[in-house]
Amino acid sequence: MLKQKEGGRATFVKVGLASLMMAIGSSAFADEEIERGTLFGDMQTVTQDMLDKSAGDSNNFLHTNGNYEQTRFYPAEQINTDNVHNLEKAWTFKMDVVDSLETSPIVVNGTMYVTSSFNHVYALDAKTGKAKWHYQHEMGPITTYCCGPNNRGVAAYEDMLFMGTLDAKLVALDAKTGKKVWETEIADPELGYSETMAPTIVNGKVLIGTNGGEYGIRGFVKAFDAKTGKLLWTFNSIPENSVGVWAENDATGLYMHRDIKAEKAALKKLGDPYKTLGGGVWQNMAIDRDSNRAYFVVGNPSPDLYGAIRPGDNLYTNSLVSVDLETGEKICHFQYIAHDVWDLDAVSPPILVPVTNDDGQTVKGVLHGGKTGYVYVHDAGDCSLIRHSEPMVMQRDRWVLPTKEGASMLPGANGGVEWSPMATDPGQGLAFAINLHQPMTYHVEETPYPDGKLWLGGAFKVIPTEEQWGNVTAVDYNTGKIKWKVKTQHPMIGGILATGGGLVFTGEGNGLFKAYNSSTGELMWQDQTNAGVNAPPSSYNVAGDQFIVVGSGGNAQLDYKRGNEIIAYKLAK
Amino acid sequence: MRYSNFKHLILITTLLFTGYAVAEEDKYSPVREKLETCFACHGQNGASSMGAFPILAGQEFYYMYVQLKDMKKGLRESAVMGPIAASLEKSEMKLMAEFFSKQAWPETNYTVEAEQATAGKRVVGAGQCVACHLGDLRGNSRVPRLANQHPDYLLATMLDFKNGVRKNSPAVATLLKTFSEQELKDVSDYLSSYSE
Ligand code: HEC
Ligand code: HEC
Repeated sequence: MLKQKEGGRATFVKVGLASLMMAIGSSAFADEEIERGTLFGDMQTVTQDMLDKSAGDSNNFLHTNGNYEQTRFYPAEQINTDNVHNLEKAWTFKMDVVDSLETSPIVVNGTMYVTSSFNHVYALDAKTGKAKWHYQHEMGPITTYCCGPNNRGVAAYEDMLFMGTLDAKLVALDAKTGKKVWETEIADPELGYSETMAPTIVNGKVLIGTNGGEYGIRGFVKAFDAKTGKLLWTFNSIPENSVGVWAENDATGLYMHRDIKAEKAALKKLGDPYKTLGGGVWQNMAIDRDSNRAYFVVGNPSPDLYGAIRPGDNLYTNSLVSVDLETGEKICHFQYIAHDVWDLDAVSPPILVPVTNDDGQTVKGVLHGGKTGYVYVHDAGDCSLIRHSEPMVMQRDRWVLPTKEGASMLPGANGGVEWSPMATDPGQGLAFAINLHQPMTYHVEETPYPDGKLWLGGAFKVIPTEEQWGNVTAVDYNTGKIKWKVKTQHPMIGGILATGGGLVFTGEGNGLFKAYNSSTGELMWQDQTNAGVNAPPSSYNVAGDQFIVVGSGGNAQLDYKRGNEIIAYKLAK
Repeated sequence: MRYSNFKHLILITTLLFTGYAVAEEDKYSPVREKLETCFACHGQNGASSMGAFPILAGQEFYYMYVQLKDMKKGLRESAVMGPIAASLEKSEMKLMAEFFSKQAWPETNYTVEAEQATAGKRVVGAGQCVACHLGDLRGNSRVPRLANQHPDYLLATMLDFKNGVRKNSPAVATLLKTFSEQELKDVSDYLSSYSE
């Protein structure tokens, strides 16, 4: 037992006794005796070095998507194709709010941090699922979000955690106690800004984008100082000149039926629409530490369906963008869909992996799973497109223009891949995506900017008489070919994890959580949970046991059964 | 039970508030008199029992504040509420909206035939209503509660959206225009009788 104090406060708190006491609510815990763990050495806080090495770390899960490259590949092999049938529930933790659950658990030296809808944060003992503390954000009266009161998790750095909130604030918590250290406003929620993504942290900078593409915001990525909350830089995802090159085809070469003559006339009359053009950045960025660059994708233009009011390509909506981490200045971009009127935005987090280019050379690549249902493969140097995959979902009348009565098209507006992060297995050269097949009609209606109110410029409607389903798809990103594809009962949303054990893990709206053989797609294991499994799984190791953890709480957007459980699995002994 | 801790919170806040009101100056005193005029139609503390007058008790604060502003601006046309809203200052609107939001939603006990419930549910699915009004259809912040609201009012205001009378939320109007009157009737009945 070690008693350690600094300025009257304990600086080291380790799992076990001390945290239990905190959970009980001891206010004078500084005077308690603190047990110092030995198992993980001195790694009490999350250092930049740990964050950098996370891709090879088979104890922790330090980033929302596993590592800076966002591969969602967890190297541990303890749970593998041979024994996964022995996987069973180790513990279940019930959170306070029963609502849409999209959290990515992160795990730091045996402590897990998870969040729920309405910005609750919990620290759990990752071995037992016992709560150490619970933080509830004091929500302001004004929140503006589109698709459920979601939160996708926290970022950890040194002894702090960071979370974006529905009322567009960034809060920093003491990781040991859950007490708020600072809070700062990211943007004005009255104008449609809100936060659901987990921040990304690098070199003392907290990076976060924004939601709001349905409200006529002007999107951004901002960098804040982790210690103070001070704003360091802002990258506006919509430049003042958003017009672009009047592209007629999308990234796959398909004609988009733009009326460019009318757009040019509108541009003369209305001017550049950049101030209310949307372009949210609402999922995490990949970080390349060598080049000191961030890669992220930018969401749809506002209003979603009514394009006549926003002439031009609407840069950098529906694009991959790379910026310099020091300054936030743009280095390169690639637009998938210019002047989108279908809400098929770019949102699934980009992944940095070595890829083979068309000359057979291995180059630093970026993958993105598009709402169009294609995996796009880029050269990380200049963002250019090397190739796109075969379509993972059925395409029907893609780029038919929305009409007043409603034009039917596939993919539907929730896309072929939604915000769900993909995973990769770099050894196999595979990217794993979860898909939606959801036929919709696209309705357009002329609508002026409604001052921060919902601004769709029309409506999306699910076609109730048409069947819907989902897929889990493995794509060879060096050829663009689909390696395997498995159909699921419902459209898929949430995320997927690949492991060194030759497995991928992903959940479904019907509550099933499944493991597939990552090279064949063969179903290896499943568990029935009490609500939709629509959150990205993580993995970690405590005391020699590998765990797989996932949230089972359903989804607002697709109306999957709500719940409030975090479930951890390990092999039966 | 959903939001169990929120319910506790509400209980605590109510207790605190009651205590506060006795001991301290009434926060709502600047609007107390005007609130009485609201009660005439919307019921005591906004717990309306008449189908034409929407329940305000327990409705979302920011939603109601925005509605009052929109009615004053004429974005939401209403022969009855238009002049009333026009007579209110923004600060009064805020206080009143806050007052009503803090009251408990009254029991309404509407019921619906199974067949109509199924039809209503289908509309909720097609329009993805829960993506915004949330799974329990109780709304949040700028999105109003629909669950257990009076069906007459729900239908009337949805028809106002459909027919371009209620112009303060174009996106909702466009969506509701895609449904027939019968579908809107079905969904009103379903929403008013909604239970978890
Ligand atoms: C003479 C009856 C009457 C009085 C008095 C009255 N209201 Fe109303 N109120 C209505 C009616 C009817 C509606 C529905 C209007 C419509 O949709 O056209 C309404 C709607 C509203 C709404 C919108 C509710 C929703 O769900 O969208 C608010 C908020 C409101 N009233 C607040 C007030 C306040 C505050 C007062 C007092 C200052 C007040 N009302 C006084 C009849 C009244
Ligand atoms: C994309 C988000 C969204 C969807 C989907 C949506 N609504 Fe709404 N709804 C809103 C918002 C926001 C408002 C408040 C508008 C305003 O500010 O006046 C609203 C208002 C309403 C109102 C007015 C309530 C009152 O008290 O006056 C009704 C009724 C309503 N919606 C019904 C529905 C139904 C039925 C569906 C599904 C068929 C639906 N909505 C789908 C966002 C949505």
